[in-house]
Amino acid sequence: MLVNAYSKRVFNLAYQFAGSYEEAEDLTQDIFLKLYNSITKYDFEKNFTAWLLTLARNHLIDQYRKTKWEKKSRDEFDEHYLSAGINSSPEESVLSQESKKIVWEGFKYLSSEIRMAVILRDIQGKKYEEIAEIMELPLGTVKSRVNRGRLQLAKILKEKKEKGNGM
Amino acid sequence: MECKTIEDLLSPYLEDELTQEERQSMEEHLRSCQSCAELLSFMEEARVSLATLPELEISEDLTKKLYDLPQKKKKFSLVFDFLLRPSLQPVMAAATVLLVVVSFYMFHPNRSAIDRALERQLHIGYSKVEKLYAEAESITHSLNEYKDNLLVSIKKLKPFRGNEDNQSKT
Repeated sequence: MLVNAYSKRVFNLAYQFAGSYEEAEDLTQDIFLKLYNSITKYDFEKNFTAWLLTLARNHLIDQYRKTKWEKKSRDEFDEHYLSAGINSSPEESVLSQESKKIVWEGFKYLSSEIRMAVILRDIQGKKYEEIAEIMELPLGTVKSRVNRGRLQLAKILKEKKEKGNGM
Repeated sequence: MECKTIEDLLSPYLEDELTQEERQSMEEHLRSCQSCAELLSFMEEARVSLATLPELEISEDLTKKLYDLPQKKKKFSLVFDFLLRPSLQPVMAAATVLLVVVSFYMFHPNRSAIDRALERQLHIGYSKVEKLYAEAESITHSLNEYKDNLLVSIKKLKPFRGNEDNQSKT
């Protein structure tokens, strides 16, 4: 069943991209509606997950352009991730929690295409080739976008941590 | 290597995609440039932070909504298919024309003038119908007269009159 197999993945992608839990729920429903409407167009020789993620990516970026989420703030990091067992490891330092928080909030400064590339690579753990297929872009462009996104996040992390340390 | 070049190579360095020479010259630069070394360290920190972000469970409410979606879509498509049937197209076209005419009438700035013109046209139409009715009555009257005259003429004809003569003799 499609819902069982893919809803969690689609929802998490939507949440990581949009940063708002409610928005992500609405977006997940929109994506599944689109999936039901265009399932007849699916080419059985292609990878279904990649096809679904392409559909999700197109919808998320379209909505982003229409609503301009970058102007909105993202949910507080602790709001949902704290209850999801992020503190499960006692060894995990307060510092790494802080980094996660900064990076999560830092996503709002990334453009839609760069944000999507970083999410697919670093959170979802996709290979560059898969991301190129999902985003319908050349491999080199994907690699360059991922690097630019990481660089932006690294700079944000550096700035916030230096401020935090009073440097 | 310049710092800008190093920035472009940070991800390939972390993912071990550089050639031996590129790696060596990059490490050489990192040893002498604290800013680039820090950037590399923060990039790695960002990468690890993202990689360890947990996957959220979806709410029961959302799961239910997702399961209900095909039924909603089915109901919607049934209504849509019914409305788009070819046999309903003339009805839809007529309804559209009617709607346009009614809208034109309802939202016309000079609606009272339209009312007056319609009233006048109705009056003219009514007069014409009355006239036609009167003409039809006169035609009926004339036809009745012709019928009576014809009957009188037929009765005056010889064969019919002969019968009458015989009857009078007997």
